[in-house]
Amino acid sequence: MRLQRVAAIGPWTVVATRVLSVAAALLVGGSVFAFAGYDVPTLAASVVQSSLGSLFGLEDLGLLFSPLILTGLAAAVALRIGLWNIGGEGQFYAGAIAATLAGLNMHGPASLMLPLLALAGFAGGAAWVLVPALARAFLLIDEIITTLLLNFVAVLLVNYLCTGPLRDPAQAVTSASARIPYEISPLLDDLHWGLGVSVALVAIMAGLSAFTRWGFETRLAGANRHAAHYAGIPVRRRLMQVLLLSGGLAGVAGMLEVVGTVHRLQGGISNNYGYLGVMVAVLAGGVPWAVLPAALLMAVILNAGTVLQAYGVSNYEVLALTGLVLLFTAVGERLAYYRPARRPVRAA
Amino acid sequence: MINLLTGVLSTALLAGGVLALGALGEVLAERVGVFNLGLEGLFALGGITAIIAVARGASPAVGLLAAVLVGAAFGAVFAGAVVGLRANQTLCGLALTIAGSGLASAVGRPYSGQPARAVFEGVAIPGLSDLPVLGRAVFSQNPLIYVIWIALPLFLHWLLYRTRHGMNLRAVGENPAAADAAGVRVGLLRFGYVVAGAGLAGAAGGTLTLAFVPSWSDGITGGRGWIAVALVIFAGFRPLNAVLGAFLFGLITALGFVGQARNWPVPPAFLSMLPYLGTIACMIIPALFARRTRRRLLAPAALGIPYFRDER
Repeated sequence: MRLQRVAAIGPWTVVATRVLSVAAALLVGGSVFAFAGYDVPTLAASVVQSSLGSLFGLEDLGLLFSPLILTGLAAAVALRIGLWNIGGEGQFYAGAIAATLAGLNMHGPASLMLPLLALAGFAGGAAWVLVPALARAFLLIDEIITTLLLNFVAVLLVNYLCTGPLRDPAQAVTSASARIPYEISPLLDDLHWGLGVSVALVAIMAGLSAFTRWGFETRLAGANRHAAHYAGIPVRRRLMQVLLLSGGLAGVAGMLEVVGTVHRLQGGISNNYGYLGVMVAVLAGGVPWAVLPAALLMAVILNAGTVLQAYGVSNYEVLALTGLVLLFTAVGERLAYYRPARRPVRAA
Repeated sequence: MINLLTGVLSTALLAGGVLALGALGEVLAERVGVFNLGLEGLFALGGITAIIAVARGASPAVGLLAAVLVGAAFGAVFAGAVVGLRANQTLCGLALTIAGSGLASAVGRPYSGQPARAVFEGVAIPGLSDLPVLGRAVFSQNPLIYVIWIALPLFLHWLLYRTRHGMNLRAVGENPAAADAAGVRVGLLRFGYVVAGAGLAGAAGGTLTLAFVPSWSDGITGGRGWIAVALVIFAGFRPLNAVLGAFLFGLITALGFVGQARNWPVPPAFLSMLPYLGTIACMIIPALFARRTRRRLLAPAALGIPYFRDER
């Protein structure tokens, strides 16, 4: 059978390819687990049962879902204009730091303070990506490495703050800040309205991207920067705006996590959300609304990591599995462009 | 003062050596036009492989060889995806970083926090090792550093710029269609040098766990793979510049260590940030002074672009 490459594929082919890629990755990953001596069907059943089979499990899933939506949306927004913001992890922490500082030092009614804290989180995340954004827009410096390296700086900064200036002396053992005196009202027991905010932001971004001139210009600049420039679109300004928005969204994720879920600033709260967000964005192909199903899938996989600890599987195996999903997605994305040749191709 | 100099220099050679190996590997991959963002994962895989090998009784040299082979094996998977199937290089590189780091940490759980069973021992060179500062910082170190800092970069420079084969492989990175038309086997060269580069990245991981740290713990690579990728850009994709850059970063890292050991009045967290912030500064500052000039022109023209013969 001969194959031929086609120039364009339809949206449903893309969706089908994504589903097949993820299924193939899980199959290969499962085989490796089986080879390592795990009882894979039991593991899979327990993952499904504990994350989807009870209200308690769904709530846990929701708590992972919400930050993944926002970090995924952050990376997806950047992807639309052709930029890789791999610094979601650092921007998440920067947003968490800004929200913590504001929450611990400013006082007011919750109805006023919560939007203010969200704004602080947005500003923190945007500030964290400012230097890479300027470097990318004005000096053409690759944003992948600059955004990523700042993740390490953010982790060090959070650890410094939590063991130093912000450390709560009342907490003897763990190093964490004092409790932030504001709470986001609950949807269910532990699940808070952060999830609603995340979904609303997806809707807003989807609308901005699909129906506004700004959205059109960013998509055009992502598809062909030179054509966009030639058409009179201020590409440099759009690059800056998109990256700052992207960082800000990741910062809001950090704010919601620290104010709504953890209630204190401490190390490790990002739970790899920043890195997994990049995967969410890739699975979603940079399309805002598609971030929702992609983030849900990642939340299930991440939740599996917690569930499977009872069976001696650590988070690292799950991390390796997500890497496999990414690899298969990348390969599937390319293979989707091949078809069996309609007419016999004459050999050269 | 003498002790300070000796300490900084010997740490810089080891810390920078890890970066130099990784950067040299990345130079090879990028020179044939493949952007390998998986270095961080390969460092982790090489590191844990070396630790496991010596824990099972292998000598450090054999451990390092195992690290090279594992790095090359994972590099072959990566190359199969990006060169064979022409998948997106950025995505596959990130996948390699994530999968490699996760796998290494998963496999390495039993070894976490324990010192390496065997390490590369220093060898004092008669005569030279009695020199002040240099004697202890350079000529008493393990022999690996001469390979990393002298033999390997010189060999790669010779290979890239003084041989026909080197010209072919650079042509593959600059203009694969022209190279193809001239009879150069584009796919084969790309595959081969991506695998070779990944082998060097594996060696970097092995050097990290058997000579520099020397032990295994989660997150031990700490972004070194990414710094090595950045170094290659900073070095204008040339092997000799890459090792010079690696030495500079070794010095920055060593400065942080010395500061912590001597209780400088700066919080340790900020000293630990130095390599990352230094890397970003080194990417930005040259570009500020040399906008759109030499340095940018030095990037292989086909870097990151998969080659389809039918698109020529």
